Amino acid sequence: MPTACGSSTSSVSKLTGTLRHLRSGEGLTLVALCLFALVLFVMPLWHLARIGLTDGAEFSLAPVLALFESGSVPRALRNSLESAALSSLLSLLLGTTLALIIGLTDIRGKAIITFLVMIPMMVPPHVTAIAWVQAMGPSSPILNTIGLAPPPGSPHPLYGRGGVIALLAVQNMPLVFLVVLAALRSLPRDLSDAARSAGAGPWRLLRRIILPLLLPTLMAAYVLAFVSALGNFGIPALLGIPGRYVTLPVLIYQRLSAFGPSMLADVAVLASVLATLAVIIVAAQMALLGRTRNALIGPPQTPLHLTLGRTRPVVEAAIALLIAVILILPVTALFGTALVITYGLPLTSETMTLANFRHILFEQSVTARAFANSTLTAGLAALVIAGACVLLARILSGPRGVSRGIGRGIAFAAEITYAIPGLVISIAFILTFIRPIPLLDVSIYNTLGIIFIAYLCAFFAVALKPISAAYMQLDPALDEAAKVAGAGYWRRLWRITLPLLAPAAASGAILVFLIAYNEITVSALLWSTGTETIGTTIYNYESSGSTTLAAAMSAVTVVATIGLLLALDIMGRWLPRGVVPWRL
Amino acid sequence: MKLLRTALTATLLLGTTAHAQNTDISGSLVLYTSQPNEDAQSTVDAFMAAYPNVEVDWVRDGTTEIMARLEAEFLAGAPQPDVLLIADIVTMEGLEAQGRLLSYPEADTSAYDPAIMDPEGYYFSTKLITTGIVYNTAAPFEPTSWQDLLRPEAQGQIAMPSPLTSGAATIHMVSLTGSPDLGWAYYEALAEQGANPQGGNGGVYRAVAGGEQMFGMVVDFLPIREIANGAPVRFVFPDEGVSAVTEPVAILSTARNVPAAQAFVDFLISPEGQQLAADMGYLPAHPAIAAPEGFPARDQIRLLDFDAAQALTDADANRLRFIDIFGQ
Repeated sequence: MPTACGSSTSSVSKLTGTLRHLRSGEGLTLVALCLFALVLFVMPLWHLARIGLTDGAEFSLAPVLALFESGSVPRALRNSLESAALSSLLSLLLGTTLALIIGLTDIRGKAIITFLVMIPMMVPPHVTAIAWVQAMGPSSPILNTIGLAPPPGSPHPLYGRGGVIALLAVQNMPLVFLVVLAALRSLPRDLSDAARSAGAGPWRLLRRIILPLLLPTLMAAYVLAFVSALGNFGIPALLGIPGRYVTLPVLIYQRLSAFGPSMLADVAVLASVLATLAVIIVAAQMALLGRTRNALIGPPQTPLHLTLGRTRPVVEAAIALLIAVILILPVTALFGTALVITYGLPLTSETMTLANFRHILFEQSVTARAFANSTLTAGLAALVIAGACVLLARILSGPRGVSRGIGRGIAFAAEITYAIPGLVISIAFILTFIRPIPLLDVSIYNTLGIIFIAYLCAFFAVALKPISAAYMQLDPALDEAAKVAGAGYWRRLWRITLPLLAPAAASGAILVFLIAYNEITVSALLWSTGTETIGTTIYNYESSGSTTLAAAMSAVTVVATIGLLLALDIMGRWLPRGVVPWRL
Repeated sequence: MKLLRTALTATLLLGTTAHAQNTDISGSLVLYTSQPNEDAQSTVDAFMAAYPNVEVDWVRDGTTEIMARLEAEFLAGAPQPDVLLIADIVTMEGLEAQGRLLSYPEADTSAYDPAIMDPEGYYFSTKLITTGIVYNTAAPFEPTSWQDLLRPEAQGQIAMPSPLTSGAATIHMVSLTGSPDLGWAYYEALAEQGANPQGGNGGVYRAVAGGEQMFGMVVDFLPIREIANGAPVRFVFPDEGVSAVTEPVAILSTARNVPAAQAFVDFLISPEGQQLAADMGYLPAHPAIAAPEGFPARDQIRLLDFDAAQALTDADANRLRFIDIFGQ
């Protein structure tokens, strides 16, 4: 048995065990993960810390302290914490409620609802923000039709604190929804069946069985939404700045635009403030998680089918209304802008044109290239991250010991890189990878390769959350039993871990794909001619004043993403149940 | 293959252009620019038509992004570009002060206003992007001067870019506050009017075109280009004068292909290069080249005085004063 040396014994017979351990599957996995984390998380972070936390050549906290003397940093810090905490609470309430309804009841149209609810996440945040500004503003096509539009020149209702929080909540709600839905899949039926045959009603079942079992997942989902809101740039930039509600990522961007040699140091210091926040939140979550672990046995199963009875039409109507507000309103505004000759004109038969679509689809070669580049890099990143996360989650849920300690360190580093705004990640990657890689003598600067590995760094935590939460629900007894029966590491991974984790791993991969597919800030400083991504193309149109072209490109992106999801849907027929989130 | 390409280029050139080709200069040239995508593409195409043996690799991004990228490349000790076509002369003064630029005093700038060219030849202005007033056609009155924005009807209706985000907004603030007619008192009065400096020029244009605010301070080409498409806005060059950013071109001291970089500078400030800028819808920096459609005649536009070196020295003080007035 090659893996007789588990990580639990490694602390005891360390010296003799180390070599054998390293050769075992488990040891190899650990070494590979360490190398992965060293190159992708530690080195870029170290480069940032070096410029942010040194004064000359010596370590110094002086830059950090100097920054806190100006009023703007503490204010931005407060705004960041407030908007992230409140918006993710809203995301959690909304996303969990939806997931419970979809996952546990006999509501109709589950697949289509799941599908539609995911769309807000696929639109880049700053495009969402523009769409909402338009949808709720004086020239709103919809509000004007029903006579509710604010008069021209009146302050925009979404500018400021309320708008930032509301839109962050909508943007991150699908994250919570998908994570909770995946966890409901792996919730075994035995307990709830037992409770029901003992006469428990649906509310009691929810309160006493399902929610307690979901607790680790709910915490993971909240933290994911929190950290994601913390690092969001597009929404606070477009809604916060005019409402004088500046968050840390926006402050970082404002510092970036103050050119000069001290600029990067300021930015690095601000980024380390954000990183520290993320570490505190994640540490708290891990500490809580340790106490709430519920081990269960069983493969993904048919979900419960609670009968809603007479309330079913009411619930369905409420969901339809929610989708109308969070999806149809902004997407209509987006298409409205994409179809008009120039931004600001009302959409009428005279001002309607397909010229914007024609321009981006047929006159600009960059459009097709951007779609190919983003699909390739985001797809590859999603697969690699999901695979690495399954391996890491296994280590994280293992017994106490050196391996788990290292695993936690890697998870922490991933959390930090997720919380740091994308622009700062791209600066760290320029610093790390501008020179040819030693030994290999290959330069990846200005290639798609650097964007791909920056995605691995920036979005690792997105998939780790659902996958490790799902792992926490697995009973280690299964693995132990297989081990006793003589199954080796790889065999157990393949036959036990993977089938049980497939739904969580798949939803993790899909989350990474959708986020990376439309991201803007990570590739913002890393792209060059030939390696454009969808996000940078939209951003470039927007920043050079072509709002209508940016809207057309976003509209095409939404349509293309729906196409991709449909393709996934067809593939889902041959995949195990639960792998494609909306195939129930 | 190479023969084929040469033949192809030759046919293209015969068909389209009449100006002389220079085949002495060759190699690759890396350009970083903040011009909008299409404009960057046409600039590069026109240059490569005039210098067929030079292969231009270019990166286009927003001013903030491209400067951040460059700053990171400096820090890592490996700046990539040979030549920059970026932003404003204050930024260029800053790069010059850091010793990042290579001077090219032989460039022919005799036709130009000396105020927009560096006397030592470190950078060369290529166009005039002025900041004036944009207003929505639903606005209560038609402004003709900066002072008009202080009328009571404009209270709470003014969008302006933030000098904390935009280089053009910084130059605009320095020009206006340095003007004897306006001064810092004007910016204080704007704050009293409830003006709320936010983001860059794109955001200001969107706010006015979308009817969220009735008036805005914005760079000329955004509204002028869209008015031609029927946008519900108008643009005025106010009586007191306008500020301008000049999108200068400069060669980096670390340039690998200096001859090609110098050729690029020559091309941009030549009459053909200036005509190209006018064809793209910008006000050319060369006084003899006619302004494009939608602009008043060149001698009708009054530029406010501006001293780039002084603006760089005062940058921090100006920034603090701005923050003080607008409470940001």
